[in-house]
Amino acid sequence: QFSLDRIPRSREVRQSWISSVATTLYSIVYSLPLTYKRKPDLILCNGPGTCVPVCLSAFLLGLLRIKRTIIVYVESICRVETLSLSGKILYYFSDYFIVQWPDLKKKYPKSVYLGRIV
Amino acid sequence: FRFKDSLAEDLQSADLVISHAGAGSCLETLEKGKPLIVVINDKLMDNHQLELAKQLHRDGHVLYCDCSTLVETLQSMDLSALKPFPPGQPEKFASFLDRVLGLQ
Repeated sequence: QFSLDRIPRSREVRQSWISSVATTLYSIVYSLPLTYKRKPDLILCNGPGTCVPVCLSAFLLGLLRIKRTIIVYVESICRVETLSLSGKILYYFSDYFIVQWPDLKKKYPKSVYLGRIV
Repeated sequence: FRFKDSLAEDLQSADLVISHAGAGSCLETLEKGKPLIVVINDKLMDNHQLELAKQLHRDGHVLYCDCSTLVETLQSMDLSALKPFPPGQPEKFASFLDRVLGLQ
């Protein structure tokens, strides 16, 4: 049994970074009430910018003691040496940050390395 | 052809695959155990595609060239030097999640 909710994208492919700030803020404003309504126990995400507003909303709800959500972020297998922008942000806000290459584990010691998932 | 829903059949019957550095293309080919030459297009390249292609090359799983060196690579390639690509282990991730959520 599941339900689907749609959220606006934080950034379209090749969208300019400056306008992305505006679209991301819009996504955050949209995601906050949705996350509050759903109060997830777990957020599992794999990287796109679109997941950042939801994760930040959940993090905020945790800070406000409204709901404690476990945030698990899995960085893309394409990321061998550097993190994506979403990764760089969520490294600090996620409970578990999973990387798929050992180099990243060295650079980001709080991350979890379980080998390649795919 | 321009588009197929799945390349699985074509991959299965191929002896050699020459591909761009897309993660899906590379991983699907390597999972089927086919020799792979990755062609980098500097102008189109996404930074993170390049990271994966380079790492796969460093680990000895693929050959690697750009458009201008493709012919030379085909002429001098030694496919037997390519190492087999071990499968990913999603079950480790699954048990990790079980532990995190207290389900184990």
